[in-house]
Amino acid sequence: MLILSRKPGESIVIDGRIVVKIVRLEGDMVKIGIEAPREVPVHRQEVYDEIQGNNREALTEHRPQLPRALTRPNVAAEPELACAKGS
Amino acid sequence: MNTLEIPEMDMRQTEGRDIIRLPFGLLGFEHVKQYTLLTNPEEEPFMWFQMLDNAKRAFLVVPPFRVAPDYQPDISDDEVDFLQLSSPSDAFLINIVTLRGNHHATVNLKGPIVINRRTLIGKQVILNNAAQYSLHHPIGAA
Repeated sequence: MLILSRKPGESIVIDGRIVVKIVRLEGDMVKIGIEAPREVPVHRQEVYDEIQGNNREALTEHRPQLPRALTRPNVAAEPELACAKGS
Repeated sequence: MNTLEIPEMDMRQTEGRDIIRLPFGLLGFEHVKQYTLLTNPEEEPFMWFQMLDNAKRAFLVVPPFRVAPDYQPDISDDEVDFLQLSSPSDAFLINIVTLRGNHHATVNLKGPIVINRRTLIGKQVILNNAAQYSLHHPIGAA
């Protein structure tokens, strides 16, 4: 990994089109500003990893049969029904 | 930063073989950019978000308000601009469901797929308020 020393207010440029700026230090936090073209997605790594892992786990092959509990009779219908009875 | 209040979806608008384009793919599946949404009345409110170039591979999805009525997704202005959502009713949300055995499933409420109904361009968005929601929100517990 390339490691560079930067002071608040200083930046680095990646590939001539992505600018990463150290905005300020707040205790043990670093505020970072990122300017990148729209086609470059930027994510906090831990959230990205979590969602990516969940997507991989969720992928199905040959559209399996749904568990009965999911479609019986309609997941959202029950609370509405309860409200209607109460009023 | 707006909290979009998205009305209940109209299933017919996205039924059929319309191609939904995800310029960034899904997280972890960045190279797969074209999907279609398959519906089956017996499986309602669930749908299959199927890869266009690999018909056997699909994600089970559900409109989030059907399984989490209090869901208030906060989508960043950048994402709203990218998707060219000019009003909340342009947005159609589906969330990925993970089947866990024969009786249990969970839905990812942190990262919905937001689709512009007019352009059919979508993106898996990490919500501004993702910290409020579960990646494994349980649904349909028997």
